[in-house]
Amino acid sequence: MMADRTLPRLSVAMVLLLISVTIFAVTAIATGETAQFSLQGVTGLLQRMVALGLVAIGQTFVILVASIDLSVAAVISGTAVLASWLMGGDPAMIVPAVALCLGFALAVGLVNGALVAFAGINPLIATLGTGLILQGVLSASYGSLGGAVAPVFQQLAYGSLFGIPWSVLALFGLALTMGGLLNRSVLGARIFAVGGNPDGARLAGIRTGRVILTAHVICSLFAGLAGLYLAARVQSGTPWLGRDGIYDLESIAVTVIGGTLLAGGKGGVAGTLAGVFLFASLDASFNMLGIDAFLKQVLRGFVIIAAVAVHAVRGRGHVA
Amino acid sequence: MTPALDMRGICKAFPGVKALDDVSFDCRPGEVHAICGENGAGKSTLMKVLGGSYRPDAGEIRIDGAAMRFAHPRAAAMAGIAIIHQELSLLPHRSVTENIFMGHELVRPGFAGLLLDRGAMRARARVLLDRVGAQIDPDRSVAGLSIAQQQLVEIAKALLLDARILVLDEPTAALDDRDARQLLDLIRILRGQGVALVYISHRMPEVAAIADRVTVLKDGRLIWTRPQAEATIPAIVSAMVGRDLKDFYPAAPTAAPGETVLELDAVQAEGLPEISLTLRRGEILGVAGLEDSGKGQLARLLAGDLRPAGGTARLAGRPMPLGNPRRMIAAGLGYLPADRKREGLVLRQSVRDNAALALRAMRPAWARPAAGVFAPAMLDAGLKRMDVRAAHFGQEIGALSGGNQQKAIIARWLALDPAVLLFVEPTRGIDIAAKAAIYQTMREVADQGRGIVVVSSDLPELIGISDRVLVMHRGTIAGVLPRDPREEEIMQLSLGVSV
Amino acid sequence: MSDAMSKPRAARIAINAGLLLFLCLYALIVLIQPNYLEPGLFMNFLRRAAPLVILAAGQLYVILTGGFDLSVGAVVTFTVTAAALLTNGDPDATWPVIALLYLMGAGIGLFNGLVVAFLKVPSIIATLGTMLWLNGLALAWSGGAARGDLPENFRNLGRFQWRDVALVGTLPMAVLVLVAVLALLWWGVHGIGYGRRALAVGDNPRAAELAGIPVGRTRITAFVISALAAVTAGILLGGFSGVSVNAGVGLELQSIAACVIGGAMLLGGRGTIWCAVWGALSLFALFTLLNLLGLPQALRDSIQGLILIVAVGLTAWRSRARN
Repeated sequence: MMADRTLPRLSVAMVLLLISVTIFAVTAIATGETAQFSLQGVTGLLQRMVALGLVAIGQTFVILVASIDLSVAAVISGTAVLASWLMGGDPAMIVPAVALCLGFALAVGLVNGALVAFAGINPLIATLGTGLILQGVLSASYGSLGGAVAPVFQQLAYGSLFGIPWSVLALFGLALTMGGLLNRSVLGARIFAVGGNPDGARLAGIRTGRVILTAHVICSLFAGLAGLYLAARVQSGTPWLGRDGIYDLESIAVTVIGGTLLAGGKGGVAGTLAGVFLFASLDASFNMLGIDAFLKQVLRGFVIIAAVAVHAVRGRGHVA
Repeated sequence: MTPALDMRGICKAFPGVKALDDVSFDCRPGEVHAICGENGAGKSTLMKVLGGSYRPDAGEIRIDGAAMRFAHPRAAAMAGIAIIHQELSLLPHRSVTENIFMGHELVRPGFAGLLLDRGAMRARARVLLDRVGAQIDPDRSVAGLSIAQQQLVEIAKALLLDARILVLDEPTAALDDRDARQLLDLIRILRGQGVALVYISHRMPEVAAIADRVTVLKDGRLIWTRPQAEATIPAIVSAMVGRDLKDFYPAAPTAAPGETVLELDAVQAEGLPEISLTLRRGEILGVAGLEDSGKGQLARLLAGDLRPAGGTARLAGRPMPLGNPRRMIAAGLGYLPADRKREGLVLRQSVRDNAALALRAMRPAWARPAAGVFAPAMLDAGLKRMDVRAAHFGQEIGALSGGNQQKAIIARWLALDPAVLLFVEPTRGIDIAAKAAIYQTMREVADQGRGIVVVSSDLPELIGISDRVLVMHRGTIAGVLPRDPREEEIMQLSLGVSV
Repeated sequence: MSDAMSKPRAARIAINAGLLLFLCLYALIVLIQPNYLEPGLFMNFLRRAAPLVILAAGQLYVILTGGFDLSVGAVVTFTVTAAALLTNGDPDATWPVIALLYLMGAGIGLFNGLVVAFLKVPSIIATLGTMLWLNGLALAWSGGAARGDLPENFRNLGRFQWRDVALVGTLPMAVLVLVAVLALLWWGVHGIGYGRRALAVGDNPRAAELAGIPVGRTRITAFVISALAAVTAGILLGGFSGVSVNAGVGLELQSIAACVIGGAMLLGGRGTIWCAVWGALSLFALFTLLNLLGLPQALRDSIQGLILIVAVGLTAWRSRARN
């Protein structure tokens, strides 16, 4: 029943998955790094997906409503810095710090959503603007916002259950939840409606502004989660954490690679996650091959173009 | 009987324009009430007021006798009003079921009403599709449906909400004759079920065939409302345009057609197994056919938008570069697409720039933009010759009426002096006065020694304007009829029934 | 109905808004530092603003056709890095290297354009890819740190000033370059038919194609021009800031922001070269103002973001009020 409708989307995901596994396996065998096939190797591969995966799940939601979010990098840095500063190494502060961080992400999402949905500002500009504002404030106040997360909190990045890292479990759990939300909930149906035909959705009585706002809140919250995860990993967040990881543009890239239309109304979490997996496998393969960091970036650039070209070139319409 | 819908004394003004001036309109259960009027007469505004998109400045709306105020389209939908717009409001990438339930999803009990009940939705969708007589799998994605099927999905959407007042805005504009007839049958069934139907159309024969009462609007004012027996087509037309409309279609040419200007010989393309046809200078060749007959593909082929797989084609004595719009234009073809907004106009540019577009494409990119043939005076002369009405030609073309936009596109092509003009649905969504002007122009253009191909779903139009009518069926030419064919002849050929 | 209303040309208003914003910001600068009224300091202001104005004017071509060029910052970085490595302080190498740089720029623009026009990759993704590979290439080539040296005659393009010139006092060479480049780019949009073609393509590519406009060629040209403008900006920046692997960081977004602040419409169909010029000058005036106020460098970003939102928000609000 569900397969019928999601078939084209699943196939994008499946194809990406197969390509990624092949690349990873071939490189591992060719370089003799067969240890990569152990549980540890595979979980290591999956752990590479966590940060980008979280951001990209959120990005998928905004792109599905034909919006976009360039502020995620700043939100990541913001939550990471806030988490380290608020916790100050004290385990008792974990809960309030996490709550405040997510509250901060939620607020950014609300502002983004309001600017896009109610003030009618082009989403690229609106989120570029909020991202810049955040980035500036963060960089300017970093001197007074030092600190480190509580050691226990780092379990989020380094702890595991039956050999599978918590973070990987969390990523896949959240991906399943959000995928289900898209395909089986009223909100999901309305997200597809608003992205696919905004006028039609409005005439069908959907309050399109609220749906766009919700998508932005979801996106920012996921960026916030990614920020918390990164804070746990690096112990002490910096204002350049998100920007240096190019999480804004890469999350858009993997979402589009995963088959979600930039114009909205078509796509899903499965494809996005497969796109993230492609990136992770490539990264791991480049590492095994001993390709230096700069060359890695060069290849990454071409992979993004090629991956999107593969399914864009078949379309008849124009893109700009 | 209390009218299901009763609008009284509706007024609505926009800056500078009084769009509706004291208009009253009612519709009873089990009645089809047609609204006629030219573009800009106020039909759409009236329906937007009814649908909750606009708030009226004055007047009241009563539904089943109770006064209502709609703050949002949702409120109108809840009151049992469904409006099926010309621009379909479907989601191409989603299933039929999801489209029918857009904005009104069924939820499972529990889960705070957040989870979809997809089984129930599918079952209900089947029932609704049955009711509108559509044989469509509810799980199919809408992108693969024909326009007629999509229209049925729209109506199923309206029935879902138990709409007791159903407004159809030009529902047959994009349909061919067979599908249009089926739609009219469906409307009769719904009328029998007690739905109050408001029917907006430019197609007079349909209005005559289906309406129980007819209301004519002009310039935002009510002209009259009459029962069907008193609303003859001439009466409606003269009320709409405010004068009697004689010579709606231009007279047949007196001169015999000239040499052959366009020739397809056994051309093959996707959806067209093999096509051969000829067109002479001074001739208007009509192309008729049902929606899936291949006439759309033929139009795309002639526009250079479809790559041929074989055969030969000649235009003005030279081989025709099919499959490349730019080279086709250079070879002497001008194309007026059916969907002006998507394929014809650059909406944010001026009327002048729209008229200069093809010329600009053919002249070098480094030609000066407002000198020589691009001088405003030159462009304006072409637009004036076509009688394009605009505040000024520097105005954005998006603000013009459909008729004036179409005339500006004709001016665009005439600037290139093409050998052949291809019109697809030339008067779709255009009011009657502008229609007559466009027909007149087509004749004049042909008389100047050009060939014209008209692809249209509007049979009276094809019969009125064409010197020959070519009827398509299953991608091939089922027959070619001489001037003034009967509608029955065209229908028989397009249905594949031998004459 | 709204059909009957004649809308004023939006572009004309936008120009005035961008110019007005620049004048206001410059007036504030003068208020704090009156000697900015002197021709010499104004010339110096123009000199430092020149790279951003040139970048924005190039970016405008791509924006008119409905796309974005996110690779211009990387082109600037690559230009500076390549120039330093290729000349390595040899003044005789300057002109051949500059020619080579423009050739590379044209190649990069051509690549972007071909990917967008023929592989149908949305420009935001295509030029993001280019940004990544080009930055990577610059880093790999230089080994990740500033290496090589720019000869004096190369640096003079951005740095040299003629003193005691009539009227203006000092005349920086960069300002001459700016005026020349702007004249050329103005000509491309307004002096020839290309600009109207670009607007048509950005407005409705399908309609433009069916009217015979060579859509692909129009797009590719825009990307090539944008990349060439970025090379020019890189040469000037190398001149007065020296060699750095961060030379172009953030410039892609600044140039887009400049066009938008100046009133060009994202996703195409509306805009003039003045949108880029006034937008970029406003943005640079803002940076100068913040410096004078002694605000931390980092807050530049914040204020830029705020201005961006307010400028576009006002336009959106005004166009809604009009309808």
